[in-house]
Amino acid sequence: MKRKIGVYICHCGGNISDYVDVEKVRQAAAKEAGVALARTMEFACADSSQKEIAQDIQEGAVDSFVVASCSPKLHLPTFQSVAERAGLNKYQYVHANIREQVSWAHSDDKEGATAKAVQFVRAAIAKVRLAKAIEPIEIQTQRAVLVVGAGVAGMKAATSLAKMGVNVYLIEKEHFVGGRVSQWDVLCITEETGKDLVTRFYIDVVANQNITLFTGAELVECSGSMGNFTVKVRITPRYVKDICEKDRMRRAIEVCPVEVVDEFNFSITKRKAIYHNFPSQYPLVAVVDMKHCTRCGKCEKECEKIDFSQEEKVVELKVGSILVAAGFDPYTPKNGEFGYQVYDNVITLPQFKRLVAISDTELKWKGRPVQTIAYIYCVGSRQLEGENKYCSRYCCLTTICAAIKAGEKFSGLSHFHFTRGIRTYGKYETFFYEASKRGQVFLQSFEDDPPQVTQKDGRTLVRIHDILTSRREVEVDADLVVLVTGMVPRTDGRIGEILKLPRGRDRFYNEIHMKLRPVETVIDGVTIAGACRGPQNVVEAINSSLSAAIKSYSFVRRDTLAIEPIVAEIDPDACTWCEACAKACPFDAIARDASTGKEIARVNTPVCKGCGMCLPVCPANAIQLRTFSDEEVQQMIGVLAHEL
Amino acid sequence: MAAVERLSFDALVVGGGIAGIEAAINLGDNGLRVLLVEKDLTLGGKMIMLSKVFPTLDCAACITTPKISEVARHPNVTIFTNTEVKSIQKQDMHYFKASLVRHPRYVDESACTGCQLCEEACPAVVPDQYQYDLVGRKAAYIPFSIASPRVATIDMDHCVLCGACERVCPPQCIDFTQEPAECQIIMKTVIVATGLQLFDPARIERFRSGHAKNVITAMQMERLLAPTRPYNHVLRPGDGKAPDKIAYVLCVGSRDRTVGNPICSQICCMYSIKQAQLLMGALPMADVTIYYINIRSYGKGFEEFYEQAKGMGVNFVKGKVGQITEKENGNLVLRYEDIRSGRLKEAEHDLVVLSVGSLADPDASGFFTDGRWEQDEFHFPRQKDLFFNPALSSIKGVFLAGTTSCPMDIPDTILSAGAASMEAIRYIKQSALGI
Amino acid sequence: MPEGRRDGAKILVFSTEKISDPAIDMAGLLKLHYPPRVYTIAVPCSSAVKPHWILHAFAQGFDGVFIAADGSDCPYGESCTEKTGALVQKTHALMKEQNLDAARLKMAAICSVCSESFVKHMKSFSEALQKGK
Repeated sequence: MKRKIGVYICHCGGNISDYVDVEKVRQAAAKEAGVALARTMEFACADSSQKEIAQDIQEGAVDSFVVASCSPKLHLPTFQSVAERAGLNKYQYVHANIREQVSWAHSDDKEGATAKAVQFVRAAIAKVRLAKAIEPIEIQTQRAVLVVGAGVAGMKAATSLAKMGVNVYLIEKEHFVGGRVSQWDVLCITEETGKDLVTRFYIDVVANQNITLFTGAELVECSGSMGNFTVKVRITPRYVKDICEKDRMRRAIEVCPVEVVDEFNFSITKRKAIYHNFPSQYPLVAVVDMKHCTRCGKCEKECEKIDFSQEEKVVELKVGSILVAAGFDPYTPKNGEFGYQVYDNVITLPQFKRLVAISDTELKWKGRPVQTIAYIYCVGSRQLEGENKYCSRYCCLTTICAAIKAGEKFSGLSHFHFTRGIRTYGKYETFFYEASKRGQVFLQSFEDDPPQVTQKDGRTLVRIHDILTSRREVEVDADLVVLVTGMVPRTDGRIGEILKLPRGRDRFYNEIHMKLRPVETVIDGVTIAGACRGPQNVVEAINSSLSAAIKSYSFVRRDTLAIEPIVAEIDPDACTWCEACAKACPFDAIARDASTGKEIARVNTPVCKGCGMCLPVCPANAIQLRTFSDEEVQQMIGVLAHEL
Repeated sequence: MAAVERLSFDALVVGGGIAGIEAAINLGDNGLRVLLVEKDLTLGGKMIMLSKVFPTLDCAACITTPKISEVARHPNVTIFTNTEVKSIQKQDMHYFKASLVRHPRYVDESACTGCQLCEEACPAVVPDQYQYDLVGRKAAYIPFSIASPRVATIDMDHCVLCGACERVCPPQCIDFTQEPAECQIIMKTVIVATGLQLFDPARIERFRSGHAKNVITAMQMERLLAPTRPYNHVLRPGDGKAPDKIAYVLCVGSRDRTVGNPICSQICCMYSIKQAQLLMGALPMADVTIYYINIRSYGKGFEEFYEQAKGMGVNFVKGKVGQITEKENGNLVLRYEDIRSGRLKEAEHDLVVLSVGSLADPDASGFFTDGRWEQDEFHFPRQKDLFFNPALSSIKGVFLAGTTSCPMDIPDTILSAGAASMEAIRYIKQSALGI
Repeated sequence: MPEGRRDGAKILVFSTEKISDPAIDMAGLLKLHYPPRVYTIAVPCSSAVKPHWILHAFAQGFDGVFIAADGSDCPYGESCTEKTGALVQKTHALMKEQNLDAARLKMAAICSVCSESFVKHMKSFSEALQKGK
């Protein structure tokens, strides 16, 4: 069928027509094959002009068109919507940029500008001649989100999404919710404890029927793509069916003969093989730690809710988006790092915070009263030698607050902070000021001269050359040395690997763009929140969690997702499956397909972003990118090369 | 004034900087009808004026403009620039009402093609506030090449009414008869994204800002380094000489109880380190010294960026600058306490950049006329439930995005805007259900 | 009219929709002039340019081809620089087979506001091609 191409050339009120002879351009366009009409317009973007184009389409005078005006960055969507309003597929319109790249760029050469405008319009006509209608690609979406990790970030995201009417599967590797925050006592800034905050989040979680919480649950498999993922989750049982009467569970725990190191308290205490992390931790049902349980059966006699017949299971879930809030681990110092595990009174910051939380009237460590505390900062962060080059962001503030709180709880403590420059950014500065005002001592070491921890005659000495007093040597005889350990990415099993999430140099998950897209990942439909993105405090984690939730929500809020149909297409006859395209694709959108009997590459269109990186690597030239096919590009090249 | 226009939306976003833009896109993408109001002539806020961003060294304009065009053509977002919010009040359980004044541009916005012929024709020249007064602009002008909307405005305070612009305008869109128009808006939720206010260093007399020509602010340096910069070179404003001994004075107006701002501004260390790196590139022979109290390179990739600057040869001096004195040749003598040696020292530089801090923007407090808007001791709006719902202000249904609530960098701003949008959508949803 | 009557080298530029094409637009906006016989075709990403498109351009009479690459700003990922480099290398090899001067194909990263740099490249490339004629 012969094309009826309309060509509309804009004066732009002189911005084009002052330098380009638009009438000459019009005449040249009118002579091109397939052109049914060619007109000039004072302002193509004006309402009246838009109506004129639409009318030409509706009257059947035009079945595809070219607009030659300003840059397509300004008005491409304008004319696409003109096409759609008039009932024409928007890909049957092609734009020619004769303002920014012609009239303005060559305002010094009117003849040259006119000739160039003619060429641009002819090339656009050549392209539109080949244009086909392309329908948007639609994906059926699952109105459900998988949230990985039930710390505060995960719980906040889950409840926000659930309140929007989305089904949420909240999975937590541990048997209790709350993550790291449940291990903190009084949080800085407000007087709330970590435990209380977790309780508030948990109440919100259980109150919402749209949330299904799985504890002891780990992601083991994921397939599919944005809008439609299938995930498998392995769930380890608690071996306890329900809440026992309170006293009976207490007795069941008492009679358990097995004692193991309590990781919840960072190994400063012991727990039994049947346990709660603390009495009111959620869910309220206790757990049997099967790795250590000897199956002696004593607990069963105390509480009938204990059930050793429970079995591990794997559930399959269908979700439209996955929000990862896997959290962090505190850095574990190396043996001998500032005396860690060499001197028994050198502990980490998380241990110190638990110690303060569980001590009542007096602060004691290993039976000895503690009065003088030395805090050594940046342990495992800002490393000169090690691989953790980054600052862990939260430690300066949290240490100062822990010291202030310890000082309020126990009398007579002296605090010496061995810092590398305090970083209480923003409003947190007031805590630094407050600690100084209370007589806490802040010292600062030189970058290449860290503090030294030694023991002599039963005394533990921390020595520093202090910048703040012009390199004076200061020595503190400390009862307790607290190593201010930073954050490292949590050992979270295979989540990153399963979801193909890239990690940065700091080994935390990488966002798609550090500045403007901080919770989205290169995997469409997968978002990241909280400290698995990088060190951050509770407020920052909640902000990122809500941000990730809104991005995840946009993947599942409708039944279908429409995506740009500018994707790569494989010619099955020409393709010989050499894998080059699959390797070149930055989005993992190309895979081997043998379903037709012949091994060929197949493009997973919902994942393809139409970048075209696969095009030049194909040795058989079997890949075409829609709207940039060989035919279209070569036609344009041919026209541009042969100047009129 | 003309007749009052009445409009209704799901959400009002106040402030068209990066926080407001991000919030408006988030809300619009999720089906809400949004009105985005900006008091300035263009969207983009502070971010679009920056040179590059830390620590990625992306060009700020390059990454902001796609966001701006996204919001500008968003089918669910209406944008009013050059518009002032007069008041916002709770009307009933579900609705707020706002009163706006749309100031005239004296140009028909929809007809202007941004050709700049009026600018060429205009005879009146005034300091260009978008270049932080480093150069001049006309009274008929487009703020800058990537302004959005990219349309002309007549600055009536400086217009000489010669009519030259009217005569050259191709679509005849200059209209001196325009008047301020009042507009009443009804909406269900409000996001306040009014941003930060930069500290005015003239308040600290001893730094000679405004007196010594070669003492500039970091924002002026951003302009000198930006791709859309005024002179195309980094040079000192006093005499146009390329500087070769540049000093940065950190914590100007931050961590300073004497000026009433005891808190840390969070961004100055990093933007100064960034500028230092860019200067080393632009002026390879120049020495750059940063006078600091503590370097706060706390965020993702920041510490590595700080180390990189040290590796490039930026000189970091731990010390507080007490006084800046101007010499006859325009050079500056900095008197500072060198903490490492414990002595008072002096150093001569030919350009001094004051790394000014950020303060709460006073605008937001003026919107809420019914007295329910609470502030903290630093005049930032109170975040009612910091850990549970950080975006919530003291007024139910009013959420805070970006540096409105405290100083923060761009990624934190985006996260905060995301949080505010999520809470706003949830609020509307639940409010509709009567929860 | 006879073909090629006009002065100056005929250059085909492959620009990228999100990065280098906006820079070329801005060159116009700032009225930074460059030779008018520079013709652009915008593609999504500079690493999508097929070598045989470039060879086709030479066969059709273009004097030079310039790839205005995304560089590290590429919205599709960091591998762009490397991949664009690889396709240029591949094309250079093919050009050698056809006895085409390798200098007729050039590539440089043009960020979205690198208008001046683009104009400089166009001026020098055009001059160099003119000399080589």
